[in-house]
Amino acid sequence: MSTPSTAVARSAAARTRRAGLLRGAWGFGRTKLGVVLTGLVVLVAVAGPFVAPYTPTEFVAKPFETGVDGTVFGGDNRGRDVLTRFLWGGWTLLLLAGSAAGIGVVAGAVVGVVAGYQRGWLDDVVMRANDVLLAFPQLIAALLVMSVLGPKVWLIVAVIAVSHMPRVARVVREATRKVIEQDYVKAAEAIGLPRWRIMAVEILPNVTSPLLVELGLRLTYSIGVVAVLGFLGMGLQPPTADWGLMINENRQGMAVQPWAVALPVSAIAVLTIGVNLITDGLSRAAIGIDRGVGK
Amino acid sequence: MTRLIVVRLLFGALTLWAVSLVVFAATQALPGDAAQMILGRDATPQRVEALRDQLNLHEPVAVQYLQWLQGILQGDLGTSYSNRMPVDEVLASPVGSSLALMGLAALVATPVALAVGAFSALRRDRAFDHASSLGTLVVASIPEFVVGILLILLLGPGGFDLLPSVYSRVGGPDQWVLPVLTLAFAVAPPIVRMMRATMIEVLESEYVQQARLKGLDERTVLWRHAAPNAIGPVAQVVALQLAWLAGGVVAVEFLFNFPGVGKILMDAIENRDVPLIQAVVLLIAGVYILVNLLADVIGLAANPKVRVANR
Amino acid sequence: MPSLPEDPQTPRALAPSRRSLLRASAAGAAVAPVLAACGGDSGSGGSGGGEPQRGGRLRVGVAGGGVNDTLDAHEPTDNVDIARNHALYATLVRYTNDGAVENHLAESFEPNEDATEWTVVLKEGLTFHDDSPVTADSVIFSLRRILDPDNPLRGAGDMAGVDPDALEAVDERTVLIRCTEPTVTLPDALAEYYNCVVPEGYDPKDPVGCGPFRHVEFTAGEYSLFERHEGYHEEGLPYVDELEIVDFPEDDARVNALNSGSVDLISQVPHAQVPVIEGNPDLDIMESETGMWLPFTMRVDRAPFDDVRVRQAFRLIVDRQEMVDQALAGYGQVGNDMYARMDPSYPEDFEQREQDIDEAKRLLAEAGHEDGLEVELVTSDISAGTVAAAEVFQEQAREAGVTVNLRRVNPSDYWNEEEGFPYAFGQDFWSARNYITQAAQGSVVGAPYNETMWGEDEEWLGHLEEARRTADEEARNELIRKAQRIEYEKGGYIVWGFVNLLDGHSTAVHGLEPAVSGHPLGSYAFHRVWMQQ
Repeated sequence: MSTPSTAVARSAAARTRRAGLLRGAWGFGRTKLGVVLTGLVVLVAVAGPFVAPYTPTEFVAKPFETGVDGTVFGGDNRGRDVLTRFLWGGWTLLLLAGSAAGIGVVAGAVVGVVAGYQRGWLDDVVMRANDVLLAFPQLIAALLVMSVLGPKVWLIVAVIAVSHMPRVARVVREATRKVIEQDYVKAAEAIGLPRWRIMAVEILPNVTSPLLVELGLRLTYSIGVVAVLGFLGMGLQPPTADWGLMINENRQGMAVQPWAVALPVSAIAVLTIGVNLITDGLSRAAIGIDRGVGK
Repeated sequence: MTRLIVVRLLFGALTLWAVSLVVFAATQALPGDAAQMILGRDATPQRVEALRDQLNLHEPVAVQYLQWLQGILQGDLGTSYSNRMPVDEVLASPVGSSLALMGLAALVATPVALAVGAFSALRRDRAFDHASSLGTLVVASIPEFVVGILLILLLGPGGFDLLPSVYSRVGGPDQWVLPVLTLAFAVAPPIVRMMRATMIEVLESEYVQQARLKGLDERTVLWRHAAPNAIGPVAQVVALQLAWLAGGVVAVEFLFNFPGVGKILMDAIENRDVPLIQAVVLLIAGVYILVNLLADVIGLAANPKVRVANR
Repeated sequence: MPSLPEDPQTPRALAPSRRSLLRASAAGAAVAPVLAACGGDSGSGGSGGGEPQRGGRLRVGVAGGGVNDTLDAHEPTDNVDIARNHALYATLVRYTNDGAVENHLAESFEPNEDATEWTVVLKEGLTFHDDSPVTADSVIFSLRRILDPDNPLRGAGDMAGVDPDALEAVDERTVLIRCTEPTVTLPDALAEYYNCVVPEGYDPKDPVGCGPFRHVEFTAGEYSLFERHEGYHEEGLPYVDELEIVDFPEDDARVNALNSGSVDLISQVPHAQVPVIEGNPDLDIMESETGMWLPFTMRVDRAPFDDVRVRQAFRLIVDRQEMVDQALAGYGQVGNDMYARMDPSYPEDFEQREQDIDEAKRLLAEAGHEDGLEVELVTSDISAGTVAAAEVFQEQAREAGVTVNLRRVNPSDYWNEEEGFPYAFGQDFWSARNYITQAAQGSVVGAPYNETMWGEDEEWLGHLEEARRTADEEARNELIRKAQRIEYEKGGYIVWGFVNLLDGHSTAVHGLEPAVSGHPLGSYAFHRVWMQQ
């Protein structure tokens, strides 16, 4: 009866591998830079609402007015404080993008592992369905759904998560294929462990490297889509303070009041760069090749 | 390989059909009555009723779908709700503009990206390589509309005021610069990376080593022997980037007010112009599928091993 | 960095003499939404200096336009159509810049005692673009075309009382218009651009009229080119030889075109772009006060607004000056819960309603909402400033313990019953109209857009009905004021302000004057514009 001990040993090994991956990633200078940049934006987004000088819907200036006493960056399209709205507008983006990426990766991982391990018709069906989903450019799919059902928060998360799923599933399925050739999986099968347990305990911990890399990629992409939906007016709705929406609302005054656009735009740029640098570090550590340019 | 390509094509057609189903179902779920929507504030019950008949809105949904699909197969995309013109007429000029925009972007991005990628490969692990690697990573990270806004802030009326930031029908050719540049930035990084990786692989191949041993000078080795072998995979990436452009232009066109399909789509969504939404989404998905297919075929032709390199 | 207006805090006081003349012009409520921009500065209006010079091509960028553009004299809808209509056609009477009605093609226009018969006499020597004379038969043909029972055109609703079969040509220049009921509002109706005079057998494909310019070229959704009508009846007008009207649906593009000199004149400058134009020494802004209003609408038959105390409380919640400042960037005037601002009957003497949060809270508590109230406000981008106003109201209501949830509806769906229209609490935009005309459109039972479900108050209705039958202006205005008082105390509108229009022009363009009609470019008065050569 060596099963429990083998399983423990296996997952311990997986844990070490994961720690090794993180340590390996940290070894790259750009990962450190990425962590700093990401940390900076996350700090602004999370701590911002607590230090904002006004409430996000309070009027402090005339529309697009700059150089107003008591404001650093002047007023936005309605005359609300630009700095305050900038400080308030980040957490929605992080939350939406984070949950969309998280849900998408988890769902994709489950589908990928199951498809990769079960094989047969299930694999075929799942992968063909995936191909159909992949045939939609992500943004177009999101726009279609938003225009039909109206921009709702849960819908934004759902659409992005669903569009991530096939992409993640494909990667995880490939990784799973490799893992199930390993002896310990064969051993677990031989002693008759239930298949769900094999998938959860033996396979999943051993595909964490590609999963982590996927998480990073999907997070970068989610940030982009959430922001662009806001920018197109199909994301969060006014008067919410949200970076993407801020860009949309203040675009027309860009020549007069650039701050209301420049601040959220820079934050989104820095955030996506930061996350992508981390992802790049992770993938270099994991596979030793360049990743992280996927759109 | 022919068989493989045929299978791919068939599968592409099947996918497109599935997409048409999704698009139709989605637009059916739009709230509100199409006839009511078209007439807007001028709606009287009689006019609404008359228009409903005209639009076949009394038919069952399945019949409406078949009629719609049949129309599309015969090249009839329906009539736009907002201006009562045939959809293909509405789309003719925007499609041309979008293609021109994408074409120009590809034309600008590809040679530069190839040169940078090749040079990085030659200067592997030296300063230029590191700079270009970091540069492509950074540019690839930023959503394209953010790149566009940064360019506007820098070069547009609020910055150095060198270039117009919105397209207008009476404007000069300089109004193309910023949209093209934005899209070029968006498509270039993957091409650079693929070019670099491929070149490194090719340069290390026995084939090139042998050419070197034969005493050919480095330039001949590079252009005569190495470069042609890198074309396949790189062409595939270029094709994939073009496919991406089909969807990616929407936000860029919206930003620059560029009169292409992306802007038409946003206007159609604003006006709830269902036939137009259907047509544009189908068109974009079609181009996307087709170009992806093309990339696949190129990949197969260049190297049977990369058969599953679709994204 | 320039701030927006010089001093929008000071409510612009109108000279009393002028106000008494102010009357309304009705642009249909269905004028293309979103495009109707607002507000402006400078007060100086157009640049009028110097002796007018002749010649040149005036290039105008007008907001709006699309493939639906039409030159049909009686069916214009979008802003560009309205602009072209003003250039090509002429009406019997017209609105002056301050909103009064004056003769145009008509030499005289007189009612009988109870306003059931109106006699029009045309000026002498009027000609259409094809040199044919303007006759009584042309007028009758035009009116019958508008009132055609099988295909009633835009103006038919304003002239419900006119009997098309009883129109009579008394002589070459005299028309007798018989009405089935007293129609005191006929001059208002016939002053509308879409009730203009066209020749017999008129075909929109060959848009012949008797306006200051004649048709040369036209491409829907793009541009039109007109030339001077040599036979135009106003001596010496128009000044320019050619008039080019270019469609500009996009705000930024329109401003860019003016900035780069590809047009000389643009309508409707967005607030955000005002500093861009002001920063250019070759350009100027013309600001026109108008009677256009963007009310909040409360349904008097729906909870919680079925309680008059709640309606009054909501009216007291609004800080009107802040609303004008934030929603219209200061380019507007404060309203007093009463529309028809340009009507001579407008009740100047009603005390200006101000924000009073304490009183609002007291009224709400009395109405049983002492623990606060939550309402949904349906908003839509139907006109520049509506969504902004909703957001400002949401903020202002918070102080009074009222939670306002905004529901944003697509503009094309806003008037859709499936969306819930008319909403318990919503918004709308209306151009300037006189009280009686406006009430017929929005306040009486069965009016096409009665969003507040007002109109059942018998006392109010009594005054209104009587006013409609009263030809004497003084007596009529007395009756209207009584009706207005009731609406002011109990009605469902929150009229927080009136919109100012901003137009941009090159400093080489002269002769523009602000008009209160709500139509840009001084009601598209191209015939009065001249260009420095």
